[in-house]
Amino acid sequence: MNILTQLAATEPASGGVLGALGIDLWMLVFQAIAFLILVLVLGKYVYPTLIKVVDDRQAKIEASTAAATEAEKKAVEAKDVTEKLMKQARKEAAEIVTTAKEEAAAALELADTKSKERAERIIADAHLQINKDIVAAKKVLHNETLELVALATEQVIGKTISPKVDDAVISAAVKGAK
Amino acid sequence: MNQFAALDIHISLAAETLFSIGGFHVTNAVLMGVMGLLIFLGIFIYVTQMVKKGRYNRFVGLVQWAFEGMLGAIDTVIPDKVLARKIAPLALTIFFFVLVSYWISIIPGVGSITYNGVPLFRSLAADLNFTFAIAIIVMVMVQIYAIARHGFFGNVRRYIRNPLKDPIGAFEGFLELIGEVSRGSALSLRLFGNAFAGEILLLIIAALTSFMATVTLPFFMAFELFIGFIQAYVFYVLTLIFTALAVDIHGGHQAHPEHSHHPDHSPSAGKRKTVAARE
Repeated sequence: MNILTQLAATEPASGGVLGALGIDLWMLVFQAIAFLILVLVLGKYVYPTLIKVVDDRQAKIEASTAAATEAEKKAVEAKDVTEKLMKQARKEAAEIVTTAKEEAAAALELADTKSKERAERIIADAHLQINKDIVAAKKVLHNETLELVALATEQVIGKTISPKVDDAVISAAVKGAK
Repeated sequence: MNQFAALDIHISLAAETLFSIGGFHVTNAVLMGVMGLLIFLGIFIYVTQMVKKGRYNRFVGLVQWAFEGMLGAIDTVIPDKVLARKIAPLALTIFFFVLVSYWISIIPGVGSITYNGVPLFRSLAADLNFTFAIAIIVMVMVQIYAIARHGFFGNVRRYIRNPLKDPIGAFEGFLELIGEVSRGSALSLRLFGNAFAGEILLLIIAALTSFMATVTLPFFMAFELFIGFIQAYVFYVLTLIFTALAVDIHGGHQAHPEHSHHPDHSPSAGKRKTVAARE
């Protein structure tokens, strides 16, 4: 009740409703001007510094974000390029391996052919040499046979026949044998 | 009621004069306002100097964090960066100064220390002169920004329209005019009411709990700190919203397309186009 009485008591004392609320025109103007001066002073000397710090930090964050995005983009691009290169390298490697295998197979086949040809040539040479040896052996054997026949004939006849007669006899004997 | 009467709590709706200097009445609210102003300036000058020197500590970081948050909120409410930077000093000063003024009124001694039977200290936010002063400043600044955006006649058309051509628009304009007055009154009365009620609440709790006040008061003081922050933030956000609404090209004219086709020949039109193009 005391509070209400006090509030009620203020109205007539100050003059009007505005007075009862404590509104004084000069005080209001004074406070408005003081507040405006405060805003102007702070806006000129204090806030720019703090706003600059915030803006700089924001600019740095934006630059960092842009750089990160760019780096991410480049990383994706690099990954694509790497994958493409790897794919190409794998393809080339596979081609190289295939070519190498083919070349190796061809070389092996060539070597095989050559070795076969060489072996055949060696065998042919060997056959030829053997034939030559056989012919030479036959000739030697023929001559030795002739000599033996001559010796045998000489033993049988008991006299030495002249080479001319000898040859004639032998030839006749050979002819007869044939 | 008898108990309340017995408490003898001194409550005055108006700030009370302590002394006069050359005819100027220095009230208890003005005295505390000066104290709040000194604290506020001290904090910001200290932080600014520390930032300029590149020396940071936790307090500087805390103030910078709060400042950055408030600045970010301005950019969120007002997308126009140029306008946001123009309104920033007023909005930021309102928030921080109201916050400091409100918070220092929670210091023990406010209302209880008297000088010639008058409380020596009273929250500046609990003085209608102050709340009305900043509300008037806000509403005037909002009109200035609206005129800069829409031009003088463009701004007038927000309130006054031809009732024969556009009766609904004319009524809407009339409501908008009343709305401007009520917004300003509500801004000031809301802050005053909360600050004044807060002071009375603390006085009554202190008186009712007597010796137990040391235990009970801190809870209510913490509550008042929270209310102080809310009130400062509400005042600040409403300042931004009123500005955003007033300068919004599509806001009030969207419902009446004929108004939005008026060629804007105001001096600020070219600048706005430049800003819009730059954005």
